[in-house]
Amino acid sequence: MGRSIPLVEKEFVAGFRQQTEWAGLIASAFFFGKVGSGLFIMSVFLQSRLGMLIGLLIVLCGKGGAHMLYLGRPLRFWRAMSRPGSSWVSRGIWAMSLMLAAGFIAISLPPGSPLFMPLAIFAVICAFVVAVYDGFLLTSSPAIPIWNTALMPVMCMFYALLGGTTMVLFLKHLGFIQLSGKFTALLPSVEITLLVVNLLIVLLFLVGSINTGSAGRESFDLLVKGPYAVPFFALVIGVGLVFTLLMSFVAGPRAGAGTVALITVADLIGHYFIFFLLLKVGVFKPVLGFLKI
Amino acid sequence: MRLGMVIDLKRCVGCQACTVACKAENGTSPGIMYTKVLDQVSGTYPNVRKQFVPVLCNHCRNAPCERVCPTGATHKREDGIVLVDHDKCIGCRACYVACPYNNRIFLKRGKLKEGYYGKKMTPYERAKYPEHQDGIVEKCKFCSHRIDEGLTETSCVQTCPADARIFGNLDDPESKVSRLIRSRGGRQALCEDDTDPSVYYLD
Amino acid sequence: MKQSEMVAQKDYWAKSACKMCIHSCAIRAHVVDGVVVKIEGDPDNPSNRGKLCPKGQAGIHRLYDPHRVKTPLRRTNPEKGIGVDPKWEPISWDEALDTVAEKLKAIREDDPRKLLPAINDFHRIHIWGWGAAFGTPHYFSTVGQYCGAAYHPLNGILDGSFAAINDYNHCKYWIQIGAGDGFSSHLHVAASIKRMADARVERGMKLVVVEPRMSAGAAKADEWLPVRPGTDRAFVLGMVYVLLHEQNVYDAGFMRKHTNGIYLVAPDGNLFRNAETAKPMVWDSAGNTAREYDTEGLNLEDVALEGVYTIEGVEYRPAFQEVKDSLKDHTPERMAEICSIPAETIRRIATEFGEAACIDSTIKINGKEYPYRPAAVNFYRGAIGHFDGGLDSAAMKLINLVIGNIDVPGGHIGVGLDHRLLILKEGKDGMIEPQPHLLHPAYEFAEKPYSYQLMEWYPIGIDPGHLIAENVLNPEKYGFDFQPEALIIEHSNPMWNLSATNKVIEVFKKLKFIVAIDIVLNESTDWADIVLPDLSYLESHLLVCIEPPMVTGHVYRRPVIEPLYDGRDATDILTELAKRIGFLPEWNGLLNFTMFLSEENHLDPDTPYSSLELTDRMAKSIYGQDKGLEWFQEHGHTTRDQTPEEMYLPYAKLGQRIPLYFNFIKEVGDDMAEKMKTAGVEWDTSAYLPVPVWRDHHPLHNTPPEYDLYAFAFKEAQANFSESTTLPWIDEVVSCQPMHLGVMINSKTARNKGIKTGDILKIESPFGEITGRATVGEEVHPECIAISNTISRWSQHPVGKKQRSTHFNKLLPADVKWTCGMTGHLETTARVKLSVISE
Repeated sequence: MGRSIPLVEKEFVAGFRQQTEWAGLIASAFFFGKVGSGLFIMSVFLQSRLGMLIGLLIVLCGKGGAHMLYLGRPLRFWRAMSRPGSSWVSRGIWAMSLMLAAGFIAISLPPGSPLFMPLAIFAVICAFVVAVYDGFLLTSSPAIPIWNTALMPVMCMFYALLGGTTMVLFLKHLGFIQLSGKFTALLPSVEITLLVVNLLIVLLFLVGSINTGSAGRESFDLLVKGPYAVPFFALVIGVGLVFTLLMSFVAGPRAGAGTVALITVADLIGHYFIFFLLLKVGVFKPVLGFLKI
Repeated sequence: MRLGMVIDLKRCVGCQACTVACKAENGTSPGIMYTKVLDQVSGTYPNVRKQFVPVLCNHCRNAPCERVCPTGATHKREDGIVLVDHDKCIGCRACYVACPYNNRIFLKRGKLKEGYYGKKMTPYERAKYPEHQDGIVEKCKFCSHRIDEGLTETSCVQTCPADARIFGNLDDPESKVSRLIRSRGGRQALCEDDTDPSVYYLD
Repeated sequence: MKQSEMVAQKDYWAKSACKMCIHSCAIRAHVVDGVVVKIEGDPDNPSNRGKLCPKGQAGIHRLYDPHRVKTPLRRTNPEKGIGVDPKWEPISWDEALDTVAEKLKAIREDDPRKLLPAINDFHRIHIWGWGAAFGTPHYFSTVGQYCGAAYHPLNGILDGSFAAINDYNHCKYWIQIGAGDGFSSHLHVAASIKRMADARVERGMKLVVVEPRMSAGAAKADEWLPVRPGTDRAFVLGMVYVLLHEQNVYDAGFMRKHTNGIYLVAPDGNLFRNAETAKPMVWDSAGNTAREYDTEGLNLEDVALEGVYTIEGVEYRPAFQEVKDSLKDHTPERMAEICSIPAETIRRIATEFGEAACIDSTIKINGKEYPYRPAAVNFYRGAIGHFDGGLDSAAMKLINLVIGNIDVPGGHIGVGLDHRLLILKEGKDGMIEPQPHLLHPAYEFAEKPYSYQLMEWYPIGIDPGHLIAENVLNPEKYGFDFQPEALIIEHSNPMWNLSATNKVIEVFKKLKFIVAIDIVLNESTDWADIVLPDLSYLESHLLVCIEPPMVTGHVYRRPVIEPLYDGRDATDILTELAKRIGFLPEWNGLLNFTMFLSEENHLDPDTPYSSLELTDRMAKSIYGQDKGLEWFQEHGHTTRDQTPEEMYLPYAKLGQRIPLYFNFIKEVGDDMAEKMKTAGVEWDTSAYLPVPVWRDHHPLHNTPPEYDLYAFAFKEAQANFSESTTLPWIDEVVSCQPMHLGVMINSKTARNKGIKTGDILKIESPFGEITGRATVGEEVHPECIAISNTISRWSQHPVGKKQRSTHFNKLLPADVKWTCGMTGHLETTARVKLSVISE
């Protein structure tokens, strides 16, 4: 007999159990949080107020909206700020609120205001927290081994940077952002570098999760062999990383707006689905482990 | 004082009296079970072993649910009972994914509008449902309301025909739970997660 | 506290008795503002000590089920059938009772046998005889078929008991065969689970469970021995062979002193009797001569248990020798072939059992010395619900008799039907009087049968209700010259609980009038013309005491709240009907008997008595005039532990022996053979054997080989009978338990047949077919499929109704050929073949 621990649902059987509560909306919040904060960070670097604004709006409406839709008692959301000392949710909300406050104030300042840079930098620091806190949130849960790895925040950070870079490129091609020539030349290389790094991190994450205990292994199997293997390989690896990488190589800095739009959509699809699927394959350990015969 | 439970796996016969008694005591809505008994089967016919594993909130001393709760809704009483303050919970479910024992349950919004027989509630349901709120996370309370009334047992312990569940003060070395843990080698579930549960299992 | 005072309180706990299975655990209900918010076991009751099983815990749902019958109902849709809406219309009690009384009165005047009663409320055994008082002899329900037509009579024949259980307090080696005692069912399960857990865990008792499915008991056992269904007797007889023929282990002292093992048996199998006194003879080895068993001065040590003694050219053997000889070819090797448990396992278990029996040892309890035999075989319907069930039962008794453990500490203890404990009377031949009929008196033999269940032809059985449909549909076979016209159902579900379901449905179609008394409707009562609402157990009065092991005494069931609806106690309804139909004197006469009413509490024949009054008189009759209803309202129950004197060696106190050799059974069989010969009826009496042996002609094991699997039904603690499945809490729990989700099939068998969990199977027996969802696993014998009773419902009640009804009873036969010739028990295992309908 192979492994004798079954994957169970509502039945009264001791076994691996998939978490069922964190799914689409949480993945959306993660997604918008990272893309928005990534764009915000990049835009501050590139000194694009419009980019900053879009980044802030993505965080406010996308991430904030997803959270509000998700909460069982949304009107009490403010209570979530009570425990920054121990709770990453609290810290995330604080970071998000401060990022939004500082960011919006900064971009509403008249050009040349001496306050702009300090506020923007403060907002960038907060945005950085917004980008990575969900990685810590997942890591801080001992219950679900595949989330409980140090690579999780790293992966979050790099996905945020990738998402930000992609969005900047996209907005540039749409003409919303003006970049200096130095940056225009540099950005496609940054994008390619980030894609390669993300691919490596995802691979490292996968290899690392094989040995996160039996429940981690179960998650791994679900992701690469089970019902989630097709979306994982097709959308996360194929569309999100390999396709974007190839397109970026082939098209290079001369890529037209259509190509860039395609790359952007592909990247965002991969971005959304990696976290969505990682949430879905979160598996709890069986309470009393294996039963020996 | 640290209230805890010892579950004697040798005694448990998987009858689910605890599961139903818990429902009756707490008036939980359909699908919500604070405790239940899981089957665990291993081996190949005819060499088969089957064990019944009652599960419930472990009321951990080092409770991840308490740590991750952003609102402070999840809190620990002085007697070690971990509770959710229904008025403070926002339903973010961070505790749900943080609980290694998978013993937190989210009540979907609207969940309390229907009873077991649909929209028309029974008198029992009308009496019990006001104790709950929807849109928040619930879990076993170690029958804190019974303890506050001066009772010494939770509802599941009270009914357990096999006396497979024993309730008492883990801090008192002479309590029945402490003596059982010593003499029978009680173990905590998933102790590698460093949660220090107040529920011990005896093999 | 008086009823009115109690219910006037705002917040109170009311003591009462549970009724979520057939037994009667003591409960207390918490009532707040008139609403029952919790039911718990009564902590003051020494039996269940506050404990309650899941069914008992779920009683709140029975009380507040919105589908309860709230007023008398009349059917307005003349069409009847499965899934047909009866279109109920509420009517007044008077109209309802008038209608019923008028219809039944006409039938009674015409021929009372045209009424089929299905009155099988186990808590109100006192009303079972309503049909008899009416004048009809039928029992259109499972009655004996499902609890144990082959079980109870053998208990009664052995030691005047109704049931039996191993001694929870002293047993050290417990073999459990096809029984749920201590785990899932039988004899106050909540109380028994605790006793069993204490024995297993505190006293280290070894438990061996023999059954084809890994039940809760088998899961907790030290050893699970999967057995082929319907062959448990072979396993046990293999053990007997090992003990008697290989190891010479048996309790000679017990046999000599307490059994008929010393009585000489003639070559024809009858006891060798003194020609003049007709007393059984024994062989006195000291005098080298046969003597009457009760000869004064006869030293029991000298009386032969073994050997062959020739007297006037005829060879006689002591009954023990006869038993031994009858089993001389029951080697473990041969039995292993039959039961599928390996011979070396049979040998090992027999050896362990023999050693654990501590033969010749004694124990002092309360200063009195008793034999100590801490090993015993316990069994129930799984083991005996078969074609040769009487012999199955006898074999299970025999293995216990061999080690001398009957009603001794540690051994196999008789359990009474009620507070009377065992029915012990001096019988003939120095033996206790056999008590095969504890539910109602025996039916008088008739050459032409008068009861559809042929009770008159099963003199030591319990009503084989499953034969009714066959006889109604084929009246010419045994010459029934009447047809049923009406049916009265009280808290019963014959369409669901009888086998050969399709035939039962045909009977329902023939009936012109059906009246039902119940609190919720079911498969059968969905067909009623008039429904009369009963009170639920939390709204009515009763004194109950049903098969209490280790304890005795009554629990007072009282209304914990005022009745919710316009219901009436079923006893009151039946009294009112008896009055209106015109047989109140007969009914009151019956109640005098069934409620144990003493002379001073006897009923006036022409006065209708309320259930309340009856309960009061019953209490006074049993416990004295000062302990009427008021006393019980104050104290709740009279339950107490049985004394050692009550439990141990009860027959010895009477100076009576019990059978090792079941000559009574043989005598009844010989008598039946004679009578049937005279009657000219072809009737198989070959099962009336004095010694249980294996018989190869068992129809179950000789079914055409295309039916390559055995199928059986099972239950666990979560549900019994149909009623518990309509409780949402129970339905919710069982819907999460794999064993209750479908048809259990062994993984190896499933692999061979290409079946996966979730596949929809067609299951065909020679008698019917059903469909069900496959649940593949390790917990079942590879030659078997096992079907939970929780997936069988199809009534109008919305709870517990499954997408498909996998109703096992449809697979079963229901005729004389498949019925135990001795006891009337139906074969309850089917042979089936499987095919996959959809994946």
